[in-house]
Amino acid sequence: MKLRLGVLIAVVVAPALSRAEVSESSERPAEQMDFMNFFAKRGLHDLTDERWNVYGQSTFISSWKAPFFAKYTNLNGSNSSLLPDFEYSFTWTFTLFAGVKLWPGAEVYFVPEVVSEQPLSGLKGLGGAIQNFELQKSGSTVPTVYRSRLYLQQRFDLGGKTIDKTSDPMQLAGKVKSRRLVLRAGNFSVIDFFDKNTYAGDLRQTFFNMQFLTYAAYDFVADARGYSWGAMAELQWDDLAIRVGRLAPPLVPNSLALTFDYFKYYGDQAEIEWDWKIGKEHPGAVRLLAYRNVENMGRFDDAIAAYQQNPAKNAAACGTFYNYGSTNAGAPDLCWVRHANQKVGVGLNLEQTIAKDVGVFFRGMISDGHTEVYSFGPTDRSFSIGATAKGNLWKRPNDIAGIGFGMGFISDDHAAYLRRGGVDGFIGDGTIDVAPESVIEAFYSFNVYGPLWISADYQHITNPAFNADRGPVDIFGARAHVEF
Amino acid sequence: MSSSKPLVLVLVLILVLGIVIAPSSANADGFALERLYPSAPGGGWIVMDDLGMHGGFGGAISLTGGYARQPLAPTVDDEAFMSIDLAASYDRFRVYLDLPSPLAVKGAGPSLDIGNAPDLIADPRVGFDARLLGGAHDPFRLGVGAQIIFPNGTRADYVSDETMRAMFRLLFAGDAGKFTWAAHAGVHLRTQWEGPEFIFGAAGGVRLPIGEAKRWAFVVGPEIYGETALRHAATGIEGLLSMRFEGVAEDAPHLRFKLGFGPGFDPSFGTPSFRLVFSVELFAHAH
Repeated sequence: MKLRLGVLIAVVVAPALSRAEVSESSERPAEQMDFMNFFAKRGLHDLTDERWNVYGQSTFISSWKAPFFAKYTNLNGSNSSLLPDFEYSFTWTFTLFAGVKLWPGAEVYFVPEVVSEQPLSGLKGLGGAIQNFELQKSGSTVPTVYRSRLYLQQRFDLGGKTIDKTSDPMQLAGKVKSRRLVLRAGNFSVIDFFDKNTYAGDLRQTFFNMQFLTYAAYDFVADARGYSWGAMAELQWDDLAIRVGRLAPPLVPNSLALTFDYFKYYGDQAEIEWDWKIGKEHPGAVRLLAYRNVENMGRFDDAIAAYQQNPAKNAAACGTFYNYGSTNAGAPDLCWVRHANQKVGVGLNLEQTIAKDVGVFFRGMISDGHTEVYSFGPTDRSFSIGATAKGNLWKRPNDIAGIGFGMGFISDDHAAYLRRGGVDGFIGDGTIDVAPESVIEAFYSFNVYGPLWISADYQHITNPAFNADRGPVDIFGARAHVEF
Repeated sequence: MSSSKPLVLVLVLILVLGIVIAPSSANADGFALERLYPSAPGGGWIVMDDLGMHGGFGGAISLTGGYARQPLAPTVDDEAFMSIDLAASYDRFRVYLDLPSPLAVKGAGPSLDIGNAPDLIADPRVGFDARLLGGAHDPFRLGVGAQIIFPNGTRADYVSDETMRAMFRLLFAGDAGKFTWAAHAGVHLRTQWEGPEFIFGAAGGVRLPIGEAKRWAFVVGPEIYGETALRHAATGIEGLLSMRFEGVAEDAPHLRFKLGFGPGFDPSFGTPSFRLVFSVELFAHAH
C-alpha cells in the first residue's frame, strides 16, 4: 500500500490545565476561575504546597457527519460499517478531580465522572480515526455516573534539584526532587501516565479525533470506558524517566468487566523518556514505549483457518460465544478461536517547542497485527503528526489553534480476515479494498471568558475502516468546554 | 460584576447540571436495597449528623466501607459497598456529595461484583444541611437537611430504583458535658417499590478525651435507625454500636476513624441480619 505522506505541520498549543505533569515553578494564573484560585485569593489555600485540591470540567462535543460515497455498506450481514447517511453525534462529560495528601509523599486521587453520548453508527465503521475522543464503548444517551480513577501514589525522593509541582487536576502542588521513585496502584488509565505529549494528549481544548489522543495502534488494556486497575512504577532521574506498569484487561473484548487474574491475563507497558531544552524556552521530549498484552483473544489467521476447515464456524453461528452480532454466514469469526494470546507493539513519541507557545508533535507505533482489538482500536500500525499554537501570536492569549494529520494501517492478516467478511470490534464492511485510514483535522478554540472555551473543528477522513471502497468522510464539530 | 459573568455562570450551570431523569425499566425487578446512608463527612456519627458546622470555610473527605449480611434473604445474601464522600462547610451550612460503589451484591437474584462492574457509582447523593437553632456545641441543636439521589445502576442488581429520589429531614443534636446525641426524622420520597418512606433514627453516647493534652476524643454509643414504608406500614430497624476516634485539638491530626457493627432488629427490605461499617475521614478545620 502506498503511503501518502501529505504531511502538514500546524501549530497547536497544548492545554495546560488538565495535564498532571511536573514542571518548573509557575504561579497559577490569578485570573483562572477555579475553586483553588478562589480559595487562594482569600488566604484559605496555599497553591504552592497543597494538602488537597479539587478541580472540575465539563465538555459538550457535537459532530455532524456529512453523507459520503460508499460502494457498499454492511455487505452480506456484516454489521460494522460507518453508515453513509448524514448523522449527528454528541458527548457530554462532567468530571471532578479530587486529590488529598495522606502522609509525606503519599497522595490519593479520586475522579468521578458523568458521561452521556450518542456515537456515529453505533461506534462502528472507523478504525483509529474516531471523530470524538470522549466516546466510550459502553455509553448511552442516559447520563451515567462512574468512577474513572481512584489510586494511591507514593513518592520517594532520591535527591537532585528541587522542583515545584504546580497545582493541577490529579496533581497536588508541592516540592519534589528531580530524582524520585513514584509508585501508583489502583484504578486509572494507562494513558494517564504513559505516552504523554504536551501538544497532543488531553484533547478537551485541542484536537477532537482519537488519532491524536495516543498511538492509534496502542491497544492498551482498559475497560470499555478507557480505565483499568493495576500498578506502575516511575523512576525520574533528572531529565530521564523510566516507567513500567501492569494493568487488568477486559474480561471479553471491549467490555466493561475486567479480569483481575494478573498472572494469567494482563497488559504490560514499559516506557523510557528523555526531556531536553533547546535554549531557554524550547523544551522537547522523546518517549519510547513497548507493550505486551496477554489476553483471551483471537488471531485473524486462526479464525480464517477454522472457517476454511469447517464452514460451520462462521460469523452467523457464534451462538453463546462472545461475538459482535454479524449475521454473515460466509465469513470467519474470532468467536471460534479465542484463547490466551499475546499482542506486542513499540512506539515513538516526540514533541518539541519551536517558538514561544508553538509546538509540534509526532507519534508512530507498530503492533504485531495478529490479533483482534481488545481495548482501544483496531489499528495495527499508525503515525500522527501535527502542531498547535496559542493565541499570543494574534493577541488572543487563551485561544488555541491547531492542525494535525494521522494515518493508520492494518496488517495483512487483519486485511485477509476483513476481506472474507469478518468483523473486528468496530470495523468490517463485508469485504475490503484495503488502504490506510487517514484523518486531517483543523480546529480553533476560542476562549469566550475565563473558564469557557468554544471550539470549531473540521475533519476529513479517507478510507474509513481502512477500506478504499468507502469515503472520504467530512465531519464538522463544535465543542463547549468549561474548567473550574 | 461585569455583564458577561452572569452569562458565563448560566453556561457553566447548563454544562454542569445537564442531568436528566433516567426512565425506569419496563420489566425489571429489584430496587435500591441499601439502607445505610452515611452522614456527610464531618457529620460525626456514622448515620446521624451532629450539626457541628461552624466557623469559616471547612471541608472533609471520607472513605466508608461496609458489609451487610442477608439484607433481603434469599434474594440478596451479601452486600458490600465502598463510598467516597466530599463535603464543604461554611458557618452553619454544609453541602456534600456521596458516591457509593457496590463492591458485591450477591444472592439468588443479583450477582454484581467489582469484576463485572468495576467503576459503578450507584445512586449518587447530593445533600445540603443547615443548622437553624443552637450553637455548634450547645446541648440542643436543630437543623434541616435535604438530599437528592440521582439514579445510576440497575434495579436488577438491587443498587438503584432507576428514578430520582429525595430525602428531607429534621436534624437534632446536642452536647452536654461528656454526653453527645443526635437524631433525625423525615421522609424518603421514592416512586418505585413501596413508595415514600418515613425515616427516623437516634444516637447517643459518651465523648471521652484521650491522649496527651486531650488532643483526641473517643466517642462511643448506639445508633438506631430505620425506615417505614408508608404504603404498607412495613418497617425495617437496625442498630449499630458506633465508635469514632477523632483529632479534636488544632494541632492534632485532622483524622477521624469510625467503626460500627450491629444487628437488624426488625428485618425488612434491606435490614440485614448483621452489618459492619468503617470509615476514615480527613477534615480541614474551619478557618
